[in-house]
Amino acid sequence: MADAALTSLLAESSIRLDAHATDRLDAVRQCGQALLEAGAVDESYIDAMIQREHSVSTFVGEGVAIPHGTLAGKEAVKQDALVVLRFPDGVDWDGNDVRVCVGIAAAGGGHIALLSQLAEILLDPEKAERLRSAERPEQVYELLTPEDED
Amino acid sequence: MPERTVTIASSVGLHARPASLFSQAAAKAGVPVTLTTKAGKSVNAASILGILSLGIGHGEEVTLSADGDGADAALDSLVALLSTDLDKE
Repeated sequence: MADAALTSLLAESSIRLDAHATDRLDAVRQCGQALLEAGAVDESYIDAMIQREHSVSTFVGEGVAIPHGTLAGKEAVKQDALVVLRFPDGVDWDGNDVRVCVGIAAAGGGHIALLSQLAEILLDPEKAERLRSAERPEQVYELLTPEDED
Repeated sequence: MPERTVTIASSVGLHARPASLFSQAAAKAGVPVTLTTKAGKSVNAASILGILSLGIGHGEEVTLSADGDGADAALDSLVALLSTDLDKE
């Protein structure tokens, strides 16, 4: 589980590159809705995601936020999954401009490994820019595929 | 350079919420703080992406180091933060 590839958790129908949101909670709700449609969570997970967002912003820098549920919301997770929503017009995230939301549903300890892989990608400014400007799902898959370095 | 070793108390490790709270506190520390894992990887403690990239789990030991005026006090408060279960809401 620790080595679950990011791409294996991301269905092509869960990549939405032309999303629009009125505010950050709307964006979080849309991520939750996409996870629900992917069959990854029960509806209650969306509320858990909103709660988490109220508690602490999931903005991580590089124009990216990673909405996910609270610990209590984990029971609503049916299977680990990711969704990628791109907001070309940006979403105001407490004063930060967010262009991409990576919605996360993770039931067990897979969470940390997932976030670690995602953070590694975003720490590369060039890759982060490619994610913010992705126009086709293949570009997103390409970015999330681990490189066999070293 | 002052440094402290601390065990991560958060039950799910240093991930999203605890990582946010910790990196925000590190950013406000007034001195640059470095976090180093047992495996020897170091990141700027104020960078949430840096912290997340390490994938630090519950019970893992990390070392915090800082230099400059107020480094000791800053490290003490950050150690206190990591010694708390930040997932409790």
